Amino acid sequence: MTESKIYFKFDGKKYAGNEGDTIAAALLRNNVRLIGRSFKYHRPRGIYTCGIEEPNALVQIINEHNEPNVRATVKKIYEGMIVKSQNRWPSLKTDLGSINNILSPIFSAGFYYKTFMGPKGFWKNVYEPLIRRTAGLGKPPKEFKSKSIHQHHNVEVIIVGGGLSGLLAARKFAGTNYDVLLVEREDALGGVLKNADKIKSINDQPTDEWLEKTERLIRNSNNIKTLKNTLVTTYNFSDHLIALEDKNVGKPQDNEKPELVLHKIRTNHTILANGHIERFITFRNNDLPGVMLAASFEKYLNRYGVVPDESPVVFTNNSSTYSLLKSLTDLGHKPKAYIDIRDQKNIEKETVELLEKFSIPFYPKSEIEGCEGQKEVKKVSIRTKKNQITKIKTSMLCVSGGFNPDIHLFTQSKGLLKWDKDHLTFKPDRIFQKTITLGSVSGNFSYEKLLVEVEKKLSEFEGLNELEVKFELNGPEKFQIKELWETKHEKKSLWSKSFIDLQNDVTTKDLRQAVNEGFNRIEHLKRFTTNSMGTDQGKISSINALGIVSKILKKDISEVGTTTYRPPYSPVNFSAIAGRSTYEFYDPERKTPLHSWHVKQNAVFENVGQWKRPWYFKKSEDETMHQSVQREAEQVRKTAGILDGSTLGKIEIKGKDALTFVNLMYTNSFTKMKPKTGRYALMLGEDGMVKDDGIVCKINDQHFIVTTTTGNAASVLAHMEEYAQTEWPNLNVYMNSITEQFATFNLSGPKSRVIMSRVFNDIDFSNDQFPFMSFDNFKYLDTEIRILRASFTGELGYEIYVPPSHALKLWQKFFIYSRDFDLVPYGTETMHLLRAEKGYIIVGQDTDGTVTPIDLHLNWMIGKKKKDFIGKRSLTRSDIVRENRKQLVGLVPIDKTLGIEEGQHVIEHKDLSLPIKDPVDMLGHVTSSYFSPNLNHSVAMALIRSGKRKIGSRLFVSTENLNTIAVEVVEPNFIDPKNERMML
Amino acid sequence: MFTIRCPYCGERDQSEFSNGGEAHVARPKDPEQISDREWSEYVFIRANPKGIYYERWVHTHGCKKWFNAVRNTSTDEILKVYKMGETPPPLKEFKNTIKTPSGEPDVGSGNFSVKKP
Repeated sequence: MTESKIYFKFDGKKYAGNEGDTIAAALLRNNVRLIGRSFKYHRPRGIYTCGIEEPNALVQIINEHNEPNVRATVKKIYEGMIVKSQNRWPSLKTDLGSINNILSPIFSAGFYYKTFMGPKGFWKNVYEPLIRRTAGLGKPPKEFKSKSIHQHHNVEVIIVGGGLSGLLAARKFAGTNYDVLLVEREDALGGVLKNADKIKSINDQPTDEWLEKTERLIRNSNNIKTLKNTLVTTYNFSDHLIALEDKNVGKPQDNEKPELVLHKIRTNHTILANGHIERFITFRNNDLPGVMLAASFEKYLNRYGVVPDESPVVFTNNSSTYSLLKSLTDLGHKPKAYIDIRDQKNIEKETVELLEKFSIPFYPKSEIEGCEGQKEVKKVSIRTKKNQITKIKTSMLCVSGGFNPDIHLFTQSKGLLKWDKDHLTFKPDRIFQKTITLGSVSGNFSYEKLLVEVEKKLSEFEGLNELEVKFELNGPEKFQIKELWETKHEKKSLWSKSFIDLQNDVTTKDLRQAVNEGFNRIEHLKRFTTNSMGTDQGKISSINALGIVSKILKKDISEVGTTTYRPPYSPVNFSAIAGRSTYEFYDPERKTPLHSWHVKQNAVFENVGQWKRPWYFKKSEDETMHQSVQREAEQVRKTAGILDGSTLGKIEIKGKDALTFVNLMYTNSFTKMKPKTGRYALMLGEDGMVKDDGIVCKINDQHFIVTTTTGNAASVLAHMEEYAQTEWPNLNVYMNSITEQFATFNLSGPKSRVIMSRVFNDIDFSNDQFPFMSFDNFKYLDTEIRILRASFTGELGYEIYVPPSHALKLWQKFFIYSRDFDLVPYGTETMHLLRAEKGYIIVGQDTDGTVTPIDLHLNWMIGKKKKDFIGKRSLTRSDIVRENRKQLVGLVPIDKTLGIEEGQHVIEHKDLSLPIKDPVDMLGHVTSSYFSPNLNHSVAMALIRSGKRKIGSRLFVSTENLNTIAVEVVEPNFIDPKNERMML
Repeated sequence: MFTIRCPYCGERDQSEFSNGGEAHVARPKDPEQISDREWSEYVFIRANPKGIYYERWVHTHGCKKWFNAVRNTSTDEILKVYKMGETPPPLKEFKNTIKTPSGEPDVGSGNFSVKKP
């Protein structure tokens, strides 16, 4: 047979493997046993299993963005793959970290918790960097642009696992009316049929032939979709499963196609046929390279055609190892010895006959006490039935400690388990969802009973196919096992350890110590020792740990119980979870119709929610932000400035009861308000706290348009909808967001009336015709625009609402008509500065959800004569009328050259004493602070306790370097307190 | 991760909906006439039972309609969905539902995976 070779590199050396080989299979083919170093003690580790349960053989794939912790037993090789071992320095063979092994007495359970307690600062500067260097697995991957996607499925039946049980179920459903999804984690269907030689024939055909026919049948039936290389990781509530598909098996990553697909599956019925996992037995040095699980060894023989070792020693407590012996002897190899803890009379006759036929040394009622060797197994030490120690030279030891149904998914679904005394394992008992378990996952290890089980458990479905299947078995039909979790240590040295969790380096000694220290609940014990908390989740060892703990506690194992199995079953890449929601797709970007103009004018943008808003405009390359903002703010008050306010939320409210509704939503009274006027309005929560502000424009009693702050547009509409639908469904009122239907310009400054008259030369902007807070609609070209006279800067100002298609042209027109005034475009920072000069609040900056209109001195906005509005009753609650609430004030530094920092504390005294011994009484904090170019000093707003009464007094504000500066408390209105400029 | 049957749109993924807290907490008709205590109970206090809960949902990423649902909070099973304004189904209608996955106590969590003997 000539198979094409595939070349890959492991730790810099080139190796050849066959197509379809996993990294582990290919390395075993090349007789490489040492794969990595362990997590804590840096002990040499090899390949323990042949699948997803692997605790040891984790590697880093350098050419795939440095992907760490990849299971060598799962990942398939391809030409040019570069693989590196993990957690070793300077090299895998001589790892200096293995000093930890000798220091192990201090690394016992709870080591971190007990040791790294002090002195102060040591954790951050000494301990953590040290631990990070020596403990751990792979190195973090490099950043890369993932192409992973999500896919959704809605099916009637999902079959998890394409092994024998899953295939029997699929045959029952093939060609019926049921919509079925069959999910298999390997690249081929068949499961145990491909891994081991346990079944001689099915329906008198070789198993391969039956498998091929079955696969063809499934492929040709148009009701079953098969996903291979797909691992079900999660079984959520309400029959929702998540599966991860690897699209690049045995191939380098493709730059165009998704490498991973996360399948989100909704189903009516879940058939779990995900099989079982072999467990190990703990003995001295059970972690050495060369120790391998027996069924995994068999899988390498049967699935990959790799003989990991021609004459291993076999150690078992059950009948399953018969097929390993048979596979090996069929290939002409002879195991070195067979060690079984069972009495000879209990060992099935097939095994005994085979051992005799090939004269394999046989040790009944014996056990492995330990292994010897530095980098890999050299000798095994056997405790014979006469309690004597015999040593045998060998380079490999195959261990079987029995089988666990793979109940991870079943318990995720909240199904309950029970202890199976015959098979010494937990198996599914009561289902919680519409779950059916078939085959070994249900605790059924008998092929004969499998057919009966399939027929019985699928009988609730109508119109399924008849199964005609007859098995002829190789070897014993009945699974027999004798309890053994660990064997007794003979030798005591620092090198000798019995591991219960290979990945996290937890020993049975750690378990005993933890119980001694009082951790006698399994969940606590797990966290204290970190047992089964690795990436493998203790798949081959967690039941052994329960067995050992139940013996220490002298309790029944079912009383000890299991720890909680949580999703995912096996690690899921973050790139798969993120899917397409990365980079530009992570969150939509919203741009105003004038965005391109802003870019050309060197705007620096600020994110406001999803919006990109100009923050400030750089006039020249070397202009700083401070300079830009000062220039813009000065120009607005000198002549005029214009702001892109398109992001402002706009909601249209219509209906017979629109007036009543608006009166309920906002604090102000709108009843007597004249049509075509606007009003600055506050929206409260039912708790009386300020939720949003904006301008309510009344077209007539049945039609309003309200504006919201940019960030609250969606939540204000949702808030209105909630009350309209749930509290006052009797009101005839409809709301609609029109934010994106209009671009908005805010023109502001003493020259704005002149500019408006030039741009719209047919409109009269005189004070009589166009008073403050009035608006009207006007024809403009082929469309209609709305102009509102309002101001957020304290200057004469106008807001222009124009359909987006006309926005850019009109915006440019403003600049053409105002060259002699140097009309300045300004950004959000300047807007914030200008409004702070006037003491206008920004909801969310000067308020934080604990501030009432009374705290803001906005009592004039409360329609006291209104019978009700949202939050009204709360404004008279005792806590709200309390005098010493935090209230809004203005602050001005006494030394006019000093600046005040936002977020700093306001305090009564000059001195900041030592904070811990004598805490400083904080009166409140600075919410807004700017340097005003128009006043030539800093102005700030602050929320301070009893603020209203403190106006006129002198207080102090802390600074970054723990000094204080003296400030005067003033009314929060710094420029033009009589509002003459905006009434101009 | 469950699905909800919107009474207007049909069954949809939970991620399309937002929860609105306890249902049938009526806004007092005349807020000015009640005490601070009664009012603050309306504003701040909500039931949080383990078991049957009458609650409000809104189909945020859908029809934006509010509706009521009866949910078993220990299993996330939605037992009934009905429109705003409809009479809530009586509690006794739900007595036969499974209380909790593993028969854990009425209060507190219970991550039991093994049936208690």
